[in-house]
Amino acid sequence: MELLKASDLVKGYGNTNAVNGINFHIEEGRCVSLLGPNGAGKTTTLKMLSGLLEPTSGSIDFKGEKAKDLRPFIGYLPQYPAFYNWMSGKEFLVFAGQLAKLNRKEAEKRSEELLERMGLANAKKRKIRGYSGGMKQRLGLAQALIHRPELLILDEPVSALDPLGRREVLDMMREIKKETTILFSTHVLHDAEEISDSILIMHAGEIAISGSLRSVMEEYRQPILQIEFEAPAADWLKSIASYSFVSEVNIQGNKTSIVLKDMVNGKQTLLKDIVERKLPVRKFEISQTTLEDLFMRVVKS
Amino acid sequence: MTQWTVLYRKEMTEMVRNYKILWIPIVFILLGVMQPVSSYYMPEILDTFGDLPEGTILEMPLPTGAEVLMQVLSNYGMLGVLILVLSAMGVVSSERQSGVAGMVMIKPVPYSSYILSKWAGLLTITLISLFIGYVASWYYTSLLIETVAFERIFQSVVIYSIWLVFVVTLTLFFSTIMKGNASVAFVTILVIFSISSVTSILGKNMTWSPAKMPEHTGQVLLSGELESGFLLALITTIAIIIVVLLSSIQIFKQKELLE
Repeated sequence: MELLKASDLVKGYGNTNAVNGINFHIEEGRCVSLLGPNGAGKTTTLKMLSGLLEPTSGSIDFKGEKAKDLRPFIGYLPQYPAFYNWMSGKEFLVFAGQLAKLNRKEAEKRSEELLERMGLANAKKRKIRGYSGGMKQRLGLAQALIHRPELLILDEPVSALDPLGRREVLDMMREIKKETTILFSTHVLHDAEEISDSILIMHAGEIAISGSLRSVMEEYRQPILQIEFEAPAADWLKSIASYSFVSEVNIQGNKTSIVLKDMVNGKQTLLKDIVERKLPVRKFEISQTTLEDLFMRVVKS
Repeated sequence: MTQWTVLYRKEMTEMVRNYKILWIPIVFILLGVMQPVSSYYMPEILDTFGDLPEGTILEMPLPTGAEVLMQVLSNYGMLGVLILVLSAMGVVSSERQSGVAGMVMIKPVPYSSYILSKWAGLLTITLISLFIGYVASWYYTSLLIETVAFERIFQSVVIYSIWLVFVVTLTLFFSTIMKGNASVAFVTILVIFSISSVTSILGKNMTWSPAKMPEHTGQVLLSGELESGFLLALITTIAIIIVVLLSSIQIFKQKELLE
Protein backbone atom coordinates (compact mmCIF):
# COMPACT_ATOMS: atom_id res chain seq x y z
CA MET A 1 0.00 0.00 0.00
CA GLU A 2 1.11 3.49 -0.73
CA LEU A 3 1.85 5.32 2.48
CA LEU A 4 3.10 8.63 1.22
CA LYS A 5 3.18 10.27 -2.14
CA ALA A 6 4.95 13.46 -3.09
CA SER A 7 3.87 15.22 -6.25
CA ASP A 8 5.80 17.98 -7.97
CA LEU A 9 7.36 19.08 -4.71
CA VAL A 10 9.25 22.35 -5.07
CA LYS A 11 11.07 24.39 -2.46
CA GLY A 12 12.68 27.60 -3.56
CA TYR A 13 14.96 29.95 -1.68
CA GLY A 14 15.12 33.25 -3.49
CA ASN A 15 15.94 32.53 -7.09
CA THR A 16 17.24 29.01 -6.67
CA ASN A 17 15.25 25.89 -6.08
CA ALA A 18 16.72 23.58 -3.45
CA VAL A 19 14.17 20.98 -4.51
CA ASN A 20 13.03 21.21 -8.06
CA GLY A 21 9.75 19.38 -8.66
CA ILE A 22 10.21 15.86 -7.37
CA ASN A 23 7.76 12.97 -7.56
CA PHE A 24 7.99 9.76 -5.63
CA HIS A 25 6.04 7.50 -3.36
CA ILE A 26 6.83 5.31 -0.40
CA GLU A 27 5.23 1.92 0.06
CA GLU A 28 4.13 0.91 3.52
CA GLY A 29 6.59 -1.32 5.32
CA ARG A 30 9.57 -0.47 3.15
CA CYS A 31 12.88 0.93 4.18
CA VAL A 32 13.76 3.63 1.70
CA SER A 33 17.08 5.39 1.50
CA LEU A 34 17.50 8.82 0.01
CA LEU A 35 20.95 9.22 -1.49
CA GLY A 36 22.70 12.20 -2.93
CA PRO A 37 25.75 14.38 -2.55
CA ASN A 38 25.77 17.32 -0.15
CA GLY A 39 23.50 20.07 -1.36
CA ALA A 40 21.32 17.76 -3.42
CA GLY A 41 18.24 18.78 -1.46
CA LYS A 42 17.88 15.74 0.77
CA THR A 43 17.36 17.57 4.04
CA THR A 44 14.97 20.05 2.45
CA THR A 45 12.92 17.16 1.07
CA LEU A 46 12.80 15.40 4.41
CA LYS A 47 11.81 18.58 6.21
CA MET A 48 8.95 19.13 3.81
CA LEU A 49 7.76 15.57 4.30
CA SER A 50 7.91 15.92 8.07
CA GLY A 51 5.73 19.02 8.01
CA LEU A 52 8.45 21.29 9.33
CA LEU A 53 8.84 23.19 6.10
CA GLU A 54 6.11 24.46 3.82
CA PRO A 55 6.70 23.45 0.18
CA THR A 56 6.71 26.34 -2.30
CA SER A 57 4.46 24.25 -4.49
CA GLY A 58 3.39 20.68 -4.93
CA SER A 59 1.54 18.36 -2.63
CA ILE A 60 2.09 15.51 -0.22
CA ASP A 61 -0.54 12.80 0.15
CA PHE A 62 -0.57 10.57 3.17
CA LYS A 63 -2.47 7.30 2.80
CA GLY A 64 -4.16 8.59 -0.32
CA GLU A 65 -5.42 11.79 1.30
CA LYS A 66 -4.02 15.24 1.02
CA ALA A 67 -2.54 15.78 4.44
CA LYS A 68 -2.76 19.06 6.27
CA ASP A 69 -0.53 18.41 9.22
CA LEU A 70 1.64 15.33 8.84
CA ARG A 71 3.39 15.68 12.15
CA PRO A 72 1.16 13.27 14.14
CA PHE A 73 2.04 10.39 11.82
CA ILE A 74 5.71 11.04 11.46
CA GLY A 75 8.70 10.53 13.69
CA TYR A 76 11.63 12.70 12.69
CA LEU A 77 15.26 12.58 13.65
CA PRO A 78 17.13 15.64 12.39
CA GLN A 79 20.71 15.54 11.28
CA TYR A 80 21.87 17.27 14.44
CA PRO A 81 19.35 16.40 17.14
CA ALA A 82 19.28 18.95 19.97
CA PHE A 83 17.87 18.51 23.43
CA TYR A 84 17.27 20.42 26.60
CA ASN A 85 20.60 19.52 28.13
CA TRP A 86 19.40 20.19 31.66
CA MET A 87 16.84 17.41 31.36
CA SER A 88 17.58 13.76 31.96
CA GLY A 89 17.13 11.35 29.07
CA LYS A 90 13.92 10.06 30.51
CA GLU A 91 12.52 13.50 31.24
CA PHE A 92 13.06 14.50 27.64
CA LEU A 93 11.33 11.41 26.29
CA VAL A 94 8.32 11.89 28.56
CA PHE A 95 8.21 15.55 27.49
CA ALA A 96 8.37 14.59 23.81
CA GLY A 97 5.71 11.92 24.34
CA GLN A 98 3.35 14.37 25.96
CA LEU A 99 3.88 16.85 23.15
CA ALA A 100 2.87 14.05 20.79
CA LYS A 101 -0.40 13.79 22.73
CA LEU A 102 0.32 10.77 24.85
CA ASN A 103 -0.97 11.11 28.38
CA ARG A 104 1.54 11.18 31.21
CA LYS A 105 1.19 7.49 32.04
CA GLU A 106 1.55 6.30 28.46
CA ALA A 107 4.48 8.62 27.92
CA GLU A 108 6.27 7.24 30.99
CA LYS A 109 5.63 3.65 29.96
CA ARG A 110 6.69 4.18 26.39
CA SER A 111 9.82 6.07 27.49
CA GLU A 112 10.93 3.22 29.74
CA GLU A 113 10.34 0.79 26.90
CA LEU A 114 12.36 2.81 24.41
CA LEU A 115 15.19 3.58 26.82
CA GLU A 116 15.54 -0.14 27.40
CA ARG A 117 15.48 -0.85 23.71
CA MET A 118 17.98 1.85 22.81
CA GLY A 119 20.37 0.66 25.50
CA LEU A 120 19.99 3.86 27.50
CA ALA A 121 18.31 2.35 30.56
CA ASN A 122 21.39 2.91 32.70
CA ALA A 123 21.71 6.53 31.65
CA LYS A 124 18.06 7.49 31.88
CA LYS A 125 18.48 9.58 35.03
CA ARG A 126 21.62 11.29 33.84
CA LYS A 127 21.51 14.78 32.38
CA ILE A 128 21.63 14.82 28.58
CA ARG A 129 24.55 17.27 28.88
CA GLY A 130 26.75 14.30 29.76
CA TYR A 131 25.65 12.04 26.91
CA SER A 132 28.05 10.99 24.18
CA GLY A 133 27.30 11.58 20.49
CA GLY A 134 26.11 8.02 20.03
CA MET A 135 23.86 8.20 23.05
CA LYS A 136 22.31 11.43 21.83
CA GLN A 137 21.64 9.84 18.47
CA ARG A 138 19.91 6.90 20.15
CA LEU A 139 17.92 9.27 22.35
CA GLY A 140 16.95 11.12 19.19
CA LEU A 141 15.79 7.87 17.68
CA ALA A 142 13.78 7.14 20.82
CA GLN A 143 12.04 10.54 20.75
CA ALA A 144 11.16 10.01 17.10
CA LEU A 145 9.55 6.67 17.92
CA ILE A 146 7.78 7.76 21.08
CA HIS A 147 4.31 8.15 19.54
CA ARG A 148 4.56 5.02 17.36
CA PRO A 149 4.69 6.95 14.08
CA GLU A 150 3.66 5.32 10.85
CA LEU A 151 6.62 6.76 9.04
CA LEU A 152 10.03 7.28 10.56
CA ILE A 153 12.17 9.89 8.84
CA LEU A 154 15.87 9.97 9.67
CA ASP A 155 18.21 12.62 8.32
CA GLU A 156 21.76 11.27 8.07
CA PRO A 157 21.29 9.03 11.11
CA VAL A 158 24.80 7.57 11.07
CA SER A 159 27.00 10.16 9.36
CA ALA A 160 28.30 11.79 12.51
CA LEU A 161 29.01 8.59 14.43
CA ASP A 162 32.13 6.54 14.94
CA PRO A 163 32.15 2.97 13.54
CA LEU A 164 30.83 1.51 16.77
CA GLY A 165 28.00 4.01 17.11
CA ARG A 166 27.21 3.57 13.44
CA ARG A 167 26.90 -0.17 13.87
CA GLU A 168 24.58 0.27 16.88
CA VAL A 169 22.26 2.65 15.09
CA LEU A 170 22.16 0.51 11.95
CA ASP A 171 21.26 -2.55 14.00
CA MET A 172 18.49 -0.59 15.66
CA MET A 173 17.17 0.57 12.31
CA ARG A 174 17.08 -3.03 11.15
CA GLU A 175 14.92 -3.84 14.18
CA ILE A 176 12.64 -0.83 13.71
CA LYS A 177 12.22 -1.70 10.04
CA LYS A 178 10.08 -4.66 11.05
CA GLU A 179 7.37 -2.42 12.51
CA THR A 180 7.58 0.92 10.78
CA THR A 181 8.19 2.35 7.37
CA ILE A 182 11.54 4.12 7.30
CA LEU A 183 12.84 6.86 5.05
CA PHE A 184 16.41 7.88 5.71
CA SER A 185 18.97 9.98 3.95
CA THR A 186 22.63 9.14 3.81
CA HIS A 187 25.71 9.63 1.76
CA VAL A 188 27.26 6.43 3.02
CA LEU A 189 26.31 4.13 0.17
CA HIS A 190 27.32 1.02 2.01
CA ASP A 191 24.64 1.65 4.64
CA ALA A 192 22.00 2.13 2.01
CA GLU A 193 22.95 -1.11 0.32
CA GLU A 194 22.92 -2.87 3.64
CA ILE A 195 19.48 -2.08 5.00
CA SER A 196 17.24 -0.44 2.46
CA ASP A 197 14.69 -2.06 0.17
CA SER A 198 14.34 0.89 -2.16
CA ILE A 199 16.51 3.80 -3.08
CA LEU A 200 15.99 7.32 -4.31
CA ILE A 201 19.02 9.10 -5.70
CA MET A 202 18.77 12.86 -5.70
CA HIS A 203 21.00 15.22 -7.57
CA ALA A 204 20.70 19.00 -7.83
CA GLY A 205 17.19 19.09 -6.43
CA GLU A 206 15.84 16.36 -8.67
CA ILE A 207 15.36 12.65 -8.37
CA ALA A 208 17.74 10.97 -10.76
CA ILE A 209 17.02 7.32 -10.09
CA SER A 210 14.41 5.58 -8.00
CA GLY A 211 13.18 2.07 -7.50
CA SER A 212 13.75 -1.03 -5.46
CA LEU A 213 17.38 -1.64 -4.66
CA ARG A 214 17.46 -4.89 -6.61
CA SER A 215 15.78 -3.58 -9.74
CA VAL A 216 17.94 -0.48 -9.80
CA MET A 217 21.08 -2.54 -9.44
CA GLU A 218 19.96 -4.94 -12.14
CA GLU A 219 18.96 -2.22 -14.52
CA TYR A 220 22.11 -0.20 -14.18
CA ARG A 221 24.58 -2.96 -13.53
CA GLN A 222 27.38 -3.19 -16.07
CA PRO A 223 30.33 -5.51 -16.39
CA ILE A 224 33.46 -3.79 -15.31
CA LEU A 225 37.16 -4.55 -15.42
CA GLN A 226 39.33 -3.47 -12.57
CA ILE A 227 43.04 -3.36 -13.22
CA GLU A 228 45.66 -2.39 -10.73
CA PHE A 229 49.20 -1.59 -11.88
CA GLU A 230 52.42 -1.43 -9.96
CA ALA A 231 53.32 1.75 -11.78
CA PRO A 232 51.10 4.18 -13.66
CA ALA A 233 50.29 3.13 -17.20
CA ALA A 234 48.62 6.26 -18.39
CA ASP A 235 49.72 6.04 -22.02
CA TRP A 236 48.21 2.67 -22.57
CA LEU A 237 45.04 3.56 -20.71
CA LYS A 238 44.59 6.57 -22.94
CA SER A 239 45.00 4.48 -26.03
CA ILE A 240 42.41 1.85 -25.06
CA ALA A 241 39.61 4.40 -25.07
CA SER A 242 39.59 4.03 -28.84
CA TYR A 243 38.54 0.37 -28.72
CA SER A 244 34.92 -0.02 -29.69
CA PHE A 245 34.08 -2.29 -26.73
CA VAL A 246 35.27 0.20 -24.10
CA SER A 247 32.61 2.62 -22.93
CA GLU A 248 34.31 4.34 -19.99
CA VAL A 249 37.74 4.49 -18.33
CA ASN A 250 38.15 5.80 -14.78
CA ILE A 251 41.69 6.21 -13.48
CA GLN A 252 42.38 6.59 -9.77
CA GLY A 253 46.11 6.44 -9.16
CA ASN A 254 47.37 2.97 -10.01
CA LYS A 255 43.84 1.60 -10.08
CA THR A 256 41.66 1.74 -13.13
CA SER A 257 38.11 0.66 -13.71
CA ILE A 258 36.98 0.11 -17.25
CA VAL A 259 33.34 -0.25 -18.20
CA LEU A 260 32.98 -2.67 -21.10
CA LYS A 261 30.24 -3.19 -23.60
CA ASP A 262 31.50 -6.60 -24.59
CA MET A 263 33.18 -8.44 -21.75
CA VAL A 264 34.24 -11.60 -23.60
CA ASN A 265 35.98 -9.85 -26.44
CA GLY A 266 37.18 -6.94 -24.36
CA LYS A 267 39.01 -8.83 -21.68
CA GLN A 268 40.81 -11.00 -24.30
CA THR A 269 42.07 -8.00 -26.18
CA LEU A 270 43.09 -6.07 -23.10
CA LEU A 271 44.89 -9.04 -21.54
CA LYS A 272 46.78 -9.60 -24.77
CA ASP A 273 47.73 -5.92 -24.82
CA ILE A 274 49.04 -6.05 -21.27
CA VAL A 275 51.18 -9.10 -22.01
CA GLU A 276 52.56 -7.68 -25.24
CA ARG A 277 53.49 -4.36 -23.66
CA LYS A 278 54.85 -6.02 -20.53
CA LEU A 279 52.79 -3.74 -18.32
CA PRO A 280 53.44 -4.25 -14.57
CA VAL A 281 49.97 -5.53 -13.63
CA ARG A 282 49.18 -6.44 -10.03
CA LYS A 283 45.50 -7.22 -10.25
CA PHE A 284 43.11 -7.97 -13.05
CA GLU A 285 39.55 -8.46 -11.94
CA ILE A 286 36.17 -8.82 -13.59
CA SER A 287 33.26 -7.49 -11.58
CA GLN A 288 30.02 -5.54 -11.72
CA THR A 289 29.35 -1.90 -11.15
CA THR A 290 28.34 -1.13 -7.55
CA LEU A 291 25.94 1.38 -6.11
CA GLU A 292 28.89 3.66 -5.70
CA ASP A 293 29.68 3.60 -9.42
CA LEU A 294 26.06 4.29 -10.18
CA PHE A 295 26.02 7.13 -7.67
CA MET A 296 29.19 8.65 -9.10
CA ARG A 297 27.77 8.49 -12.58
CA VAL A 298 24.57 10.24 -11.57
CA VAL A 299 26.42 12.93 -9.70
CA LYS A 300 28.92 13.61 -12.47
CA SER A 301 26.43 13.73 -15.31
CA MET B 1 -3.13 17.65 29.52
CA THR B 2 -2.71 20.06 26.63
CA GLN B 3 0.62 20.63 24.95
CA TRP B 4 0.53 24.19 26.21
CA THR B 5 0.55 22.94 29.79
CA VAL B 6 3.42 20.57 29.06
CA LEU B 7 5.43 23.39 27.53
CA TYR B 8 4.57 25.84 30.31
CA ARG B 9 5.61 23.32 32.91
CA LYS B 10 8.89 22.82 31.05
CA GLU B 11 9.46 26.60 31.15
CA MET B 12 8.92 26.64 34.91
CA THR B 13 11.12 23.60 35.53
CA GLU B 14 13.87 25.20 33.48
CA MET B 15 13.69 28.40 35.53
CA VAL B 16 13.89 26.36 38.72
CA ARG B 17 16.87 24.35 37.48
CA ASN B 18 18.86 27.38 36.32
CA TYR B 19 17.89 29.32 39.47
CA LYS B 20 16.21 32.15 37.53
CA ILE B 21 13.23 31.71 39.80
CA LEU B 22 15.55 32.59 42.67
CA TRP B 23 17.91 35.30 41.53
CA ILE B 24 15.53 37.54 39.58
CA PRO B 25 13.20 38.00 42.59
CA ILE B 26 16.28 38.52 44.78
CA VAL B 27 17.44 41.36 42.53
CA PHE B 28 13.98 42.93 42.76
CA ILE B 29 13.95 42.54 46.53
CA LEU B 30 17.39 44.16 46.84
CA LEU B 31 16.39 47.03 44.56
CA GLY B 32 13.19 47.43 46.56
CA VAL B 33 14.72 47.33 50.03
CA MET B 34 17.78 49.46 49.35
CA GLN B 35 15.70 52.54 48.59
CA PRO B 36 13.87 52.95 51.93
CA VAL B 37 16.98 51.88 53.85
CA SER B 38 19.28 54.35 52.14
CA SER B 39 16.73 57.19 52.41
CA TYR B 40 16.39 56.55 56.11
CA TYR B 41 20.07 56.32 56.86
CA MET B 42 21.21 59.00 54.44
CA PRO B 43 22.20 61.52 57.17
CA GLU B 44 24.31 58.89 58.97
CA ILE B 45 25.83 57.74 55.73
CA LEU B 46 26.83 61.26 54.78
CA ASP B 47 28.10 61.87 58.28
CA THR B 48 30.35 58.85 58.19
CA PHE B 49 31.58 58.82 54.65
CA GLY B 50 30.80 62.30 53.41
CA ASP B 51 34.04 63.87 54.67
CA LEU B 52 32.14 66.98 55.70
CA PRO B 53 33.85 69.74 57.69
CA GLU B 54 33.43 69.59 61.48
CA GLY B 55 30.26 71.13 62.78
CA THR B 56 28.21 70.94 59.59
CA ILE B 57 24.56 70.60 60.45
CA LEU B 58 22.65 68.32 58.15
CA GLU B 59 19.05 69.18 57.50
CA MET B 60 17.64 66.41 55.33
CA PRO B 61 13.90 66.14 55.12
CA LEU B 62 12.86 62.48 55.24
CA PRO B 63 10.93 61.65 52.02
CA THR B 64 7.36 60.46 52.36
CA GLY B 65 6.58 56.76 51.97
CA ALA B 66 4.96 57.33 48.60
CA GLU B 67 8.02 59.17 47.35
CA VAL B 68 10.27 56.29 48.40
CA LEU B 69 8.09 53.78 46.62
CA MET B 70 8.06 55.94 43.50
CA GLN B 71 11.83 55.92 43.62
CA VAL B 72 11.73 52.12 43.93
CA LEU B 73 9.55 51.84 40.85
CA SER B 74 11.88 54.12 38.95
CA ASN B 75 14.74 51.76 39.89
CA TYR B 76 12.65 48.87 38.59
CA GLY B 77 12.15 50.88 35.42
CA MET B 78 15.92 51.04 34.85
CA LEU B 79 17.76 48.11 36.42
CA GLY B 80 14.69 45.90 36.75
CA VAL B 81 13.85 46.25 33.08
CA LEU B 82 17.47 45.62 32.14
CA ILE B 83 17.59 42.42 34.20
CA LEU B 84 14.29 41.20 32.79
CA VAL B 85 15.31 41.86 29.20
CA LEU B 86 18.71 40.22 29.66
CA SER B 87 17.23 37.15 31.31
CA ALA B 88 14.50 36.81 28.68
CA MET B 89 16.48 37.67 25.54
CA GLY B 90 17.22 34.04 24.63
CA VAL B 91 13.75 32.76 25.32
CA VAL B 92 13.10 31.76 21.70
CA SER B 93 16.34 32.67 19.94
CA SER B 94 18.56 30.31 21.97
CA GLU B 95 16.21 27.43 21.37
CA ARG B 96 16.21 28.19 17.67
CA GLN B 97 19.96 28.42 17.64
CA SER B 98 20.50 25.11 19.38
CA GLY B 99 17.84 23.45 17.24
CA VAL B 100 15.76 22.27 20.16
CA ALA B 101 12.86 24.49 19.03
CA GLY B 102 12.75 22.30 15.93
CA MET B 103 12.75 19.18 18.10
CA VAL B 104 9.63 20.53 19.81
CA MET B 105 7.90 21.61 16.63
CA ILE B 106 8.34 18.26 14.84
CA LYS B 107 5.80 16.99 17.32
CA PRO B 108 2.24 18.06 16.49
CA VAL B 109 2.46 21.21 18.62
CA PRO B 110 0.52 24.32 17.55
CA TYR B 111 2.86 27.25 16.93
CA SER B 112 0.71 29.40 19.19
CA SER B 113 1.18 26.98 22.11
CA TYR B 114 4.92 27.28 21.85
CA ILE B 115 4.97 31.09 21.86
CA LEU B 116 2.21 31.46 24.43
CA SER B 117 3.87 29.03 26.83
CA LYS B 118 7.03 31.12 26.58
CA TRP B 119 5.00 34.25 27.20
CA ALA B 120 3.27 32.75 30.21
CA GLY B 121 6.62 31.66 31.63
CA LEU B 122 8.03 35.18 31.26
CA LEU B 123 4.91 36.68 32.81
CA THR B 124 5.15 34.34 35.77
CA ILE B 125 8.74 35.23 36.62
CA THR B 126 8.16 38.95 35.97
CA LEU B 127 5.09 39.22 38.15
CA ILE B 128 6.51 37.08 40.95
CA SER B 129 9.66 39.23 41.04
CA LEU B 130 7.77 42.50 40.91
CA PHE B 131 5.25 41.56 43.60
CA ILE B 132 7.75 40.07 46.02
CA GLY B 133 10.24 42.91 45.56
CA TYR B 134 7.56 45.58 45.92
CA VAL B 135 6.04 44.00 48.99
CA ALA B 136 9.49 43.81 50.59
CA SER B 137 10.02 47.45 49.76
CA TRP B 138 6.63 48.39 51.18
CA TYR B 139 7.43 46.50 54.37
CA TYR B 140 10.73 48.31 54.94
CA THR B 141 9.21 51.64 54.01
CA SER B 142 6.53 51.27 56.64
CA LEU B 143 9.08 50.05 59.14
CA LEU B 144 11.50 52.93 58.67
CA ILE B 145 9.51 55.81 57.22
CA GLU B 146 5.75 55.58 57.10
CA THR B 147 3.02 53.21 56.06
CA VAL B 148 1.48 53.75 52.65
CA ALA B 149 -2.12 52.61 52.36
CA PHE B 150 -2.30 49.06 51.07
CA GLU B 151 -4.93 50.03 48.53
CA ARG B 152 -2.50 52.41 46.82
CA ILE B 153 0.23 49.80 46.88
CA PHE B 154 -2.04 47.29 45.26
CA GLN B 155 -3.31 49.66 42.58
CA SER B 156 0.15 50.94 41.74
CA VAL B 157 1.70 47.49 41.43
CA VAL B 158 -1.08 46.30 39.15
CA ILE B 159 -0.66 49.30 36.88
CA TYR B 160 3.10 48.99 36.91
CA SER B 161 2.96 45.28 36.11
CA ILE B 162 1.20 46.12 32.82
CA TRP B 163 4.28 48.12 31.80
CA LEU B 164 6.61 45.22 32.64
CA VAL B 165 4.36 42.78 30.77
CA PHE B 166 4.68 45.10 27.80
CA VAL B 167 8.47 45.02 28.16
CA VAL B 168 8.77 41.22 28.28
CA THR B 169 6.29 40.82 25.43
CA LEU B 170 8.55 43.02 23.30
CA THR B 171 11.54 40.94 24.36
CA LEU B 172 9.74 37.76 23.32
CA PHE B 173 8.89 39.35 19.97
CA PHE B 174 12.47 40.35 19.18
CA SER B 175 13.73 37.00 20.42
CA THR B 176 11.42 35.36 17.88
CA ILE B 177 12.44 37.47 14.91
CA MET B 178 16.17 37.67 15.59
CA LYS B 179 18.80 35.07 16.27
CA GLY B 180 21.62 36.65 18.25
CA ASN B 181 20.88 37.06 21.94
CA ALA B 182 22.91 40.24 22.25
CA SER B 183 21.11 41.93 19.36
CA VAL B 184 17.76 40.89 20.86
CA ALA B 185 18.64 42.62 24.12
CA PHE B 186 20.08 45.66 22.39
CA VAL B 187 17.10 46.24 20.11
CA THR B 188 14.57 45.63 22.88
CA ILE B 189 16.27 48.10 25.23
CA LEU B 190 16.60 50.61 22.40
CA VAL B 191 12.91 50.37 21.54
CA ILE B 192 11.80 50.68 25.17
CA PHE B 193 14.14 53.59 25.76
CA SER B 194 12.87 55.35 22.61
CA ILE B 195 9.23 54.86 23.56
CA SER B 196 9.92 56.23 27.04
CA SER B 197 11.87 59.27 25.89
CA VAL B 198 9.50 60.18 23.06
CA THR B 199 6.61 59.88 25.49
CA SER B 200 8.22 62.11 28.07
CA ILE B 201 9.31 64.70 25.48
CA LEU B 202 6.02 64.92 23.62
CA GLY B 203 4.04 64.41 26.83
CA LYS B 204 0.61 65.82 26.02
CA ASN B 205 0.42 64.29 22.57
CA MET B 206 1.30 60.82 23.75
CA THR B 207 -1.41 60.09 26.29
CA TRP B 208 -1.99 56.73 24.59
CA SER B 209 1.59 55.56 24.97
CA PRO B 210 2.38 52.44 27.02
CA ALA B 211 5.27 54.38 28.54
CA LYS B 212 2.62 56.50 30.34
CA MET B 213 2.02 53.51 32.62
CA PRO B 214 4.92 54.31 34.99
CA GLU B 215 3.64 57.89 35.25
CA HIS B 216 0.14 56.71 36.11
CA THR B 217 1.66 54.43 38.72
CA GLY B 218 3.31 57.42 40.38
CA GLN B 219 0.04 59.37 40.32
CA VAL B 220 -1.81 56.56 42.06
CA LEU B 221 0.87 56.34 44.71
CA LEU B 222 0.90 60.06 45.44
CA SER B 223 -2.75 60.98 45.15
CA GLY B 224 -4.61 57.69 45.14
CA GLU B 225 -6.44 58.78 42.02
CA LEU B 226 -6.07 57.99 38.37
CA GLU B 227 -5.48 60.59 35.72
CA SER B 228 -7.97 60.93 32.91
CA GLY B 229 -5.69 59.51 30.23
CA PHE B 230 -5.23 56.21 32.00
CA LEU B 231 -7.96 54.27 30.23
CA LEU B 232 -6.66 55.24 26.79
CA ALA B 233 -3.10 54.22 27.69
CA LEU B 234 -4.35 50.95 29.18
CA ILE B 235 -6.34 50.07 26.08
CA THR B 236 -3.51 50.82 23.64
CA THR B 237 -0.99 48.96 25.79
CA ILE B 238 -3.13 45.83 25.91
CA ALA B 239 -3.87 46.15 22.20
CA ILE B 240 -0.17 46.44 21.38
CA ILE B 241 0.62 43.42 23.57
CA ILE B 242 -1.99 41.34 21.72
CA VAL B 243 -0.82 42.47 18.29
CA VAL B 244 2.84 41.81 19.16
CA LEU B 245 1.99 38.33 20.46
CA LEU B 246 -0.03 37.45 17.38
CA SER B 247 2.71 38.63 15.06
CA SER B 248 5.29 36.69 17.08
CA ILE B 249 3.27 33.52 16.46
CA GLN B 250 2.91 34.28 12.75
CA ILE B 251 6.60 35.06 12.34
CA PHE B 252 7.60 31.96 14.29
CA LYS B 253 5.48 29.89 11.88
CA GLN B 254 7.49 31.23 8.94
CA LYS B 255 10.89 30.69 10.50
CA GLU B 256 12.89 27.75 9.31
CA LEU B 257 13.64 25.54 12.27
CA LEU B 258 16.39 22.93 12.30
CA GLU B 259 18.91 24.27 9.88
